[in-house]
Amino acid sequence: MNRQRDRNYRARIEAALAATRQQDALHRFGDAYLEARRQAFTGMDFEALRQNVSRLKDEVDSHREDYLEQFSRLARAAGARVFRAVDGAAANAYIVDLARRHGVRLAVKSKSMTSEETGLNAALRQAGVEALETDLGEWIVQLAGQRPSHMVMPAIHMFRDEVAALFGEVTGEAEPVDIQHLVGVARRQLRNRFLEAGMGISGASLAVAETGTLALVTNEGNARLVASLPPLHVVLVGIDKLVPTLEDALCVLQVLPRSATAQVMTSYVSWIRGPVPREGQARELHIVLLDNGRSTLAADADCKDALRCLKCGACANVCPVYQTIGGQVFGDVYVGAIGLVLTAFFSGLEPAGELIGACIGCRACAAICPAAIDLEEIILRLRRRIGDREGLGLAKSLVFRQVLRNRRLFHALLRGASLLQKPVFGGRDSIRHLPLHFSSLTEWRTLPVIVEKPLRDLLPAVENQPVSGHRQVALFAGCATDFVHPRIGLSLVKLLNRADMAVSFPLQQTCCGIPALYGGDRETATELARQNVRALLADNPQAVITVCPTCSTALRRHFVELLQDDAEYAEAARRLAGITRDAAVFVAEQGPDPAAHVQRGTLTYHDSCHLKRRCGVWQEPRQLLSEAGWQVQEMERADRCCGFGGSYSFAGYPEISREITKDKVNAILRSGAAVVATDCPGCLIMLRGALEKRGLGLRAAHTLELLGEALPDSSR
Amino acid sequence: MDLTDRFTTAAERAGARVVRCPRRSALLDYLAAEAAGSILLPNFAVGSRLNLAAGLRQRNCPVITEDFRRLAPRADSGVTGANFALADTGTVVLDSTDEPLRLASTLPLRHFVILDPRKILADSMAAVGVLGQLQKHPDPGFTAFITGPSRTADIERVLTIGVHGPAQLHILLLQGVSEDLLES
Ligand code: SF4
Ligand code: SF4
Repeated sequence: MNRQRDRNYRARIEAALAATRQQDALHRFGDAYLEARRQAFTGMDFEALRQNVSRLKDEVDSHREDYLEQFSRLARAAGARVFRAVDGAAANAYIVDLARRHGVRLAVKSKSMTSEETGLNAALRQAGVEALETDLGEWIVQLAGQRPSHMVMPAIHMFRDEVAALFGEVTGEAEPVDIQHLVGVARRQLRNRFLEAGMGISGASLAVAETGTLALVTNEGNARLVASLPPLHVVLVGIDKLVPTLEDALCVLQVLPRSATAQVMTSYVSWIRGPVPREGQARELHIVLLDNGRSTLAADADCKDALRCLKCGACANVCPVYQTIGGQVFGDVYVGAIGLVLTAFFSGLEPAGELIGACIGCRACAAICPAAIDLEEIILRLRRRIGDREGLGLAKSLVFRQVLRNRRLFHALLRGASLLQKPVFGGRDSIRHLPLHFSSLTEWRTLPVIVEKPLRDLLPAVENQPVSGHRQVALFAGCATDFVHPRIGLSLVKLLNRADMAVSFPLQQTCCGIPALYGGDRETATELARQNVRALLADNPQAVITVCPTCSTALRRHFVELLQDDAEYAEAARRLAGITRDAAVFVAEQGPDPAAHVQRGTLTYHDSCHLKRRCGVWQEPRQLLSEAGWQVQEMERADRCCGFGGSYSFAGYPEISREITKDKVNAILRSGAAVVATDCPGCLIMLRGALEKRGLGLRAAHTLELLGEALPDSSR
Repeated sequence: MDLTDRFTTAAERAGARVVRCPRRSALLDYLAAEAAGSILLPNFAVGSRLNLAAGLRQRNCPVITEDFRRLAPRADSGVTGANFALADTGTVVLDSTDEPLRLASTLPLRHFVILDPRKILADSMAAVGVLGQLQKHPDPGFTAFITGPSRTADIERVLTIGVHGPAQLHILLLQGVSEDLLES
């Protein structure tokens, strides 16, 4: 990303962070949405429903031409005119020409994100046609001269006083700041315009191939007026909206309103086939099928799943970054996670780059998407692509290539950092020297100390562990546990020893490579994968235990992927993936016998993004902790990101990170618990640092540490 | 819970008012009491079967049965039937390809829908076949799923009723008037 661009973007983030009223509104919205959505999906199998949607959308994808042809033929048979537009310019030209030929002066529009994408309003204006938005939110945004900040609620960034002022300019009177009243103003002001308009323009949520039907899904009822009052109805619809059958369309409707607005059904779904009659005058229906980059997207194996998108907006609703900086900054035409992906295709990698960099990688979007799009994974692939194109930058490439790939040097530097930090800072406030984290941003959190003796020096040799049998597993510690929180590893050993199992620590293990991989250096990540596979399989352990979900993801997924074409390592990487286990799950399986039942107090549990949404683990830690005598008091949104995101919180966007952490700390405080547990050393760094800095006296600990302390012969 | 109860619960949750009418006269009394201003009464099977126009006029209601284009924008109420309904979401489904039906159900502030409870289907999946019949014939078609009144939450997410379409949706259940899902 070029410097100027980066500076501009950071300035926009600053401005968004200063807009606390908007942040507050988006937070309240996000919380209310989640609860309402949960109710709307009660009794339904969300996973099955969304797999079904993804299947039917993929079916269209593999025979898109056939379905387009079928749809067009049947729509024409019902009297519609169908035009295929390769891009936005072609679509706009067709619609402008149509308006000219019919002498249209006013076109009324219902909400259409697709027309935002093509810039249709501006094209019509240039041709002397007034394009009037009639969806309330769109009209507000149009009056304000802005663009929608949300795909479903375009004016969510605005407030009633601003709306009253805008409406006052239209009516020429001072409008009271009362929502019911303002909605009435919109009804009265817009009603006659529907009747005067020469053209109605809408989008469509679904295009049904087997019948040539379009489905318009709305709540306000303006789309029905747009579709049936003016003599011309133009539907601008992306070719991604096709579904094969009516049954498929109804399947989509089972998840769309529930995901978009947490309603079981929107007020109106209008199934339109051909131009419906009008008294005394023939009507015309024109369907503009828009490609505009969709075919390119379909041909891109890394990103094509994004074409399944239903434009429900859920991925923005739950995104902590969206909630913090809003859709005007975290998006373009489309906002939130899907906005990042589509921007890359509609506007290019460069403008998408800044948005993609601002994603913290929490996977909340992927978990909520009703079309089962793994948005975070796609964003990651795009990030890599940008990395390939723009290069890494000198500092990063030096660390990755020269340091990270050389384990001895890397670890020697870490040990050196431990010595260094003492004379300079003394005690706890010190520079963190883990890869990438050069910054000394200590104003809102303390930074962790690199220990004098890393875990690799502390762990008792297998022979010295008090076990009788031959059961043995290997520990993959990860940098944070090895050099910052060795107690996590020591606790694991105690716990497993108690289950009569020895734990080895293969000394050649090194950084899992995720910082390099997510930072865009695939080559270094591949080299680290090789080193780790070799180290971990050397003694042929029956399982490899991870205490960090990010490392776990590396061992189970990324190593396999990175080494798949490596003749020597591909098979070994798959074997390693097969025996890698998350500590909490593995410990739970060993059925540890908790010590005599003791009441240890209340604790709240923070779900790490990757443990919950990558590894699918959230029950076991809670169960283990409560068996060990802790009363688990849930915080609000326990699975919302803590703001860490690896280098994001240090080198990426620390100012966004800080806000997300603040939300997390507040949730922890409101839970009333004295301890917060988590299973991720990264989250631990963040939570401990933020709690310490605020002097709150709350303890943050890894689940394994707490379980270790609960063993009978333990002292802290 | 039987289908009618499930439908009623879901429709009321969506903001509709569901009224069980024991007989034609009760239905007409309800309409006369609740409809304000002039009433758009398009031509539909159940409406003619019940001879609604005469019944409403008897009750001194101003009824509009023609010239909808000109008169609909100023009418206050609209009365239609329903092809069928969906219990799980409280949706009424109306084939409104005929323009008077479309105008009567989209423009006025009050929309009254007459529904024979025997036409209530369990859910949208049970409607696949009949929706296909409505959409597969060669002529143009406009089938409306209507669930509760017109609504918006576009200003500060505050739910507000009646932004463009009807602010009131009254569903009048009357047994024995139609079992045919292809007529309203
Ligand atoms: S991964 Fe998290 S931060 Fe990134 S877009 Fe998805 S929800 Fe937002
Ligand atoms: S990507 Fe998924 S969650 Fe986001 S708008 Fe599309 S369908 Fe909704």
